[in-house]
Amino acid sequence: MSLTGNVVMLRKRLLAAIVFALWHPAAFGQMSHQHASEAACEETVLRCASRVTPAFGPDGTLWLAWIAGGQISVASSKDAGHSFSEPVQVTKEHLNLDWGPDARPKIVVDRKGNIALAFSTFRDKAFNGQVFYTRSSDGGQSFAELRPITSNNESQRFEALAFDADGSVFAAWLDKRNRVPAQQRGEKYDGAGLFFASSKDAGATYSEARLATENTCECCRLGLAFAGPGRPVIVFRNIFEGGVRDHAIMTFSDVSTPGEVRRVSRDEWQIAACPHHGPSLSISPSGTYHVTWYTAGKARKGLFYARSQYEGKTFSDPLAIGRPDRNPSRPYVLAGPQGTIIAWKEFDGEKTTVNSMISHDDGLTWSKPISVATTTDTSDHPMLVTDGQKSFLSWMTKADGYLFQPIGDEP
Amino acid sequence: MKSYLLSAIFLVAFLAAAPGSETPPQLKPFERGSWQQVLHSHAGRPTLVHFWGVTCGPCKVELPMLGQFMKDHEAIDVVTISADMVPDLPEATQSMLAGAGLQAAENWIFSDGFVERLRFEIDPGWQGDIPRTMLISRAGKITTIEGSAEMAQLEKWSDQQFAATK
Repeated sequence: MSLTGNVVMLRKRLLAAIVFALWHPAAFGQMSHQHASEAACEETVLRCASRVTPAFGPDGTLWLAWIAGGQISVASSKDAGHSFSEPVQVTKEHLNLDWGPDARPKIVVDRKGNIALAFSTFRDKAFNGQVFYTRSSDGGQSFAELRPITSNNESQRFEALAFDADGSVFAAWLDKRNRVPAQQRGEKYDGAGLFFASSKDAGATYSEARLATENTCECCRLGLAFAGPGRPVIVFRNIFEGGVRDHAIMTFSDVSTPGEVRRVSRDEWQIAACPHHGPSLSISPSGTYHVTWYTAGKARKGLFYARSQYEGKTFSDPLAIGRPDRNPSRPYVLAGPQGTIIAWKEFDGEKTTVNSMISHDDGLTWSKPISVATTTDTSDHPMLVTDGQKSFLSWMTKADGYLFQPIGDEP
Repeated sequence: MKSYLLSAIFLVAFLAAAPGSETPPQLKPFERGSWQQVLHSHAGRPTLVHFWGVTCGPCKVELPMLGQFMKDHEAIDVVTISADMVPDLPEATQSMLAGAGLQAAENWIFSDGFVERLRFEIDPGWQGDIPRTMLISRAGKITTIEGSAEMAQLEKWSDQQFAATK
């Protein structure tokens, strides 16, 4: 190389260093991204997903909705997760998808194969949320244009979706629209309102949003199930008197009539904080409500299970789940065909394990916990899903990819 | 070309020397082992460690109060750790810290996607609820406040730290 060449090279290096220095904050973001990411890679494929939500269709097809590469995609499997169809990307533009620990896309499939889907985004720099929905009426080949679930512009997050027996869709979410008016009246306003809407056209349009109850905890996922046709039930972390963030349940008398707020448990967790750790609900064919949750209250700390045969009017004494020294988290309950199953995560300082236990008597007695899957890097929450014949664990992991396996076969 | 380069170098030097209010708060990546580093580097000094996150409503209310607390208590080391999953949003974190008057604090941001492991190193019983404040005495005694801290509680702890040395 000539002397002139060396000088040019030196100038280029110097310029590069200056550019790097000027852009240091951005450079930090780039450098830290890969390591800090919950995902194994940056593309939109399933292997790169950070959150995966499963749902079975009426014909036994498994549907997945996932977040990967900043987009939401959907694919299906006819062989219980061994192979998947070509993914269909639901989001087209770059949206700032809600990456909160309890956020994930929701997908439900009705008896005719219609697919309803909803998810949250951060709409602004203050991290106010917005819930969007879409649907597919052609068996998942295409999805309709995204629409906001409500025309209101205050923050909405933590949507939940479920199909009713008649094919209508029930949606619930946390919504802060009443915060500013309350503050303008000089009133204190904690948390967010629990709002709901329903769709009579399989998720094409939703009714006007309505309030179910005020002052619920604003940063935890909801649990949603049907107690019978037209009777949605929502479990949520409420804010009780004195800022106590314990769990509550509400049984609707019909899709437009909210019921009473009933307390699931008196854990006495008085805290002005975001637990980022919501409950799970499943209702067995006998009508028994099964609820799991996390608390760090004065009365008890950890993961718990309780059941109600009285539509949530009273619950059994909370049953502790998991090893307290293993940081048990993210409990999920499913009243499945072989029995009621609870799955949760435990962490031993190096690896995360999904453990499960099963009840064959509708939640009265439970098997000993067993370990069903393990990973050595970050992972999504474990979820349970049934095709009506068997129950399955759905678990996205960064190190080991997407795991979908039968669960609850053990005696 | 030479004069252009010199100008650019001066510009960098000027930016580096800009007053605190103009410079975004520096964020240290909080990774495996960082917690021990925090404990080690503040050993023997009363230290307030605050865990928060940009999407946490109660945190937004508390953060400016902590900024004021830091201003009023120069003898206490203030450390903030953004414990939200913020993989690519250091700017939002920096902006909220600056708005709360915490530019001069020692500011960290979770930079490992395996948050369970990070949290386990700090407190095996912590599930990730924020805000959360750990008050560390000179002797290393840790008092944990779950949720928003009452400023009166921080004042009391601060008084105790200095009463003990008299």
